[in-house]
Amino acid sequence: MKTFLKWGGLTLFVLLVVGFGAFLYNIPPVLLIAPETFQANVAKAAPQVDHIADPATRALAARGRTLVMHIGCIGCHATNGDTGPDYSKYLAGGGIKIVSHAGQFVSRNLTPDAETGLARRTDDEVKRVLRSGVFPDGHMVPYTSMPWGSFSQLTEDDRHAIVVYLRNIPAVKHRIPDPVLEPATLPDGAVEGVFGLKDYGIN
Amino acid sequence: MQRPGRTRRVTLAAVLLGAAITAVLAQRGYHASAQQPAEPGPRGKAVYDSHCVECHGSTGKGDGPAALTLVPHPRDFTIGRYKIRTTETGSLPTDEDLIGSVKRGLPGSSMPGWEGLIPDADIVAVVQYIKSLSPRFAAEAPEPIGASQPVAATAESAARGAAVYAALQCAKCHGDDGRGAGAVATSFMDDWGAPMRAANLSEPWTFRGGPAAADIYMRFRAGISGTPMPSYKGSATDAQMWDLANYVASLRRKPVWEMSADELTTFYREQDAAAAANPVARGEYLVNVLACPVCHTPADEQRRSIPGMRLAGGLRMQLNPWGTWPTGNLTSDKETGLGNWTDDEIKRTITKGILKDGSRMLPFPMDWASFSTLSEADLNAIVAYLRTVPPIRNKVPPPTRAALPVHLWNKFRMLALGADVPSYFFSGNAGVTTGDQR
Repeated sequence: MKTFLKWGGLTLFVLLVVGFGAFLYNIPPVLLIAPETFQANVAKAAPQVDHIADPATRALAARGRTLVMHIGCIGCHATNGDTGPDYSKYLAGGGIKIVSHAGQFVSRNLTPDAETGLARRTDDEVKRVLRSGVFPDGHMVPYTSMPWGSFSQLTEDDRHAIVVYLRNIPAVKHRIPDPVLEPATLPDGAVEGVFGLKDYGIN
Repeated sequence: MQRPGRTRRVTLAAVLLGAAITAVLAQRGYHASAQQPAEPGPRGKAVYDSHCVECHGSTGKGDGPAALTLVPHPRDFTIGRYKIRTTETGSLPTDEDLIGSVKRGLPGSSMPGWEGLIPDADIVAVVQYIKSLSPRFAAEAPEPIGASQPVAATAESAARGAAVYAALQCAKCHGDDGRGAGAVATSFMDDWGAPMRAANLSEPWTFRGGPAAADIYMRFRAGISGTPMPSYKGSATDAQMWDLANYVASLRRKPVWEMSADELTTFYREQDAAAAANPVARGEYLVNVLACPVCHTPADEQRRSIPGMRLAGGLRMQLNPWGTWPTGNLTSDKETGLGNWTDDEIKRTITKGILKDGSRMLPFPMDWASFSTLSEADLNAIVAYLRTVPPIRNKVPPPTRAALPVHLWNKFRMLALGADVPSYFFSGNAGVTTGDQR
């Protein structure tokens, strides 16, 4: 009986350890969830534009929505919840923090929130970031952290449509920390470090 | 020993020349400030190092980290050859030319207008520093183009300009409608070996030198150095160049921000039709704006794309805690690139993150879920373009998973202890290049 308990307990312990290891190995279950599930989540995440009264603005926003979805702004400008991106806060940012020689940059809130989002910026200011990576205070984000070099090749028409769409998604209050413009420490040979598992916003 | 009369004549000539230059500059809206001293102060370098290096590079050679992703490429300041000038062809730009370009920016490129972003004194200082990067400025003086009599922008002037457009064969590069499409010559290199496009003359908001007829006239008069666009001094009269400028200004189409809903519907339908008619061009546009080359090109320790390796893969990404995924070779090389992949295999990778061998990629940093929102036509266009990318033999190693104990320990730290476990991008090419492609 004692032997049985001993062996049984040991087996249970080993099973628990292996089970915990297997659990850790597969959490978050990014390689177990079917690609179609990711696709469906992203496809329904982008807010629609039907509510826009002015037909020209609606047409522009519709084009902008398509571009924003294709480019995958949400890949960095998501807001992380407890179990991954919280798509109900579309483009509210804070989901990624990138560190490099240039400093530390957290993905910004692209929703039209008056205090923490793009309502504080003019169209030209938003377009300047998309074209040149230059912010209203004159600081610059590296082209590898935010690929503005690539987005600079958008036509002005397409860039404008993107801005119109961003003006017409639901505002989410989510304050993002200002960039830290001091070189970060990185492992040998690394040019960039990417943090992406928490909410790096402030509130 | 000079005679007094001669001195007076020289003085008079100098005064008249000064007045003429001032008049030209005043007409163009520049401050008629005195030429700044050529000595660059330390402020100029400080401004340059904090605002210009990302594109123009630490030595001013136009080879900053972002340079190779930009069309047109950033200016190489060490040569002292500038496109946007109010000076004779081959001559240096004036200080006001350079200050104007920095202040207003160069529309249609990544160069922003810095006016209001940094103090005017910093702009003046950085221009002096930029001049010090080329020996030309110490040895030569700019030859400003004198004032010219504008021709009013009337329908008659534009009609005469259309005849000049035909006579000077502008359509060869800019097309019959001025939009570049249908031109005889459509792929250009500038003198620096960088790809460039003939300007679409119906989109003046992309004109580097400004959209006004006076700006357009000046490009004909001064030429755009380093590009196939010559100065037309000698081949056209001043009045003809003004007529041509008025004609080009008349080609302006409405941008989307001025269109009605009906006009937008038509515009987007035509854009979609153009994309369907030229899938390779559409695919190239998508590959660029979706930022594929940023990760699928290896970079050096300054994060500069390694020249000649565009889309050849090999950027090493350590995606903690999972393992290392070097970016794939997207060129058409049969052995190491996509040459032997079927269309469906390429599209499956782009939209589902499943590689040719059936293995799966993480949902980041390659955002295949977002790319799955592309239409079938756009996906086909991307494939069509990738088929045209010249082969580069760069054998990228397969992904390696982190050792199990390391993986589990990092997962434990991450999930149970709430530690941040960053991923890293490394410089260098993880692939092996062979052959003579480079």
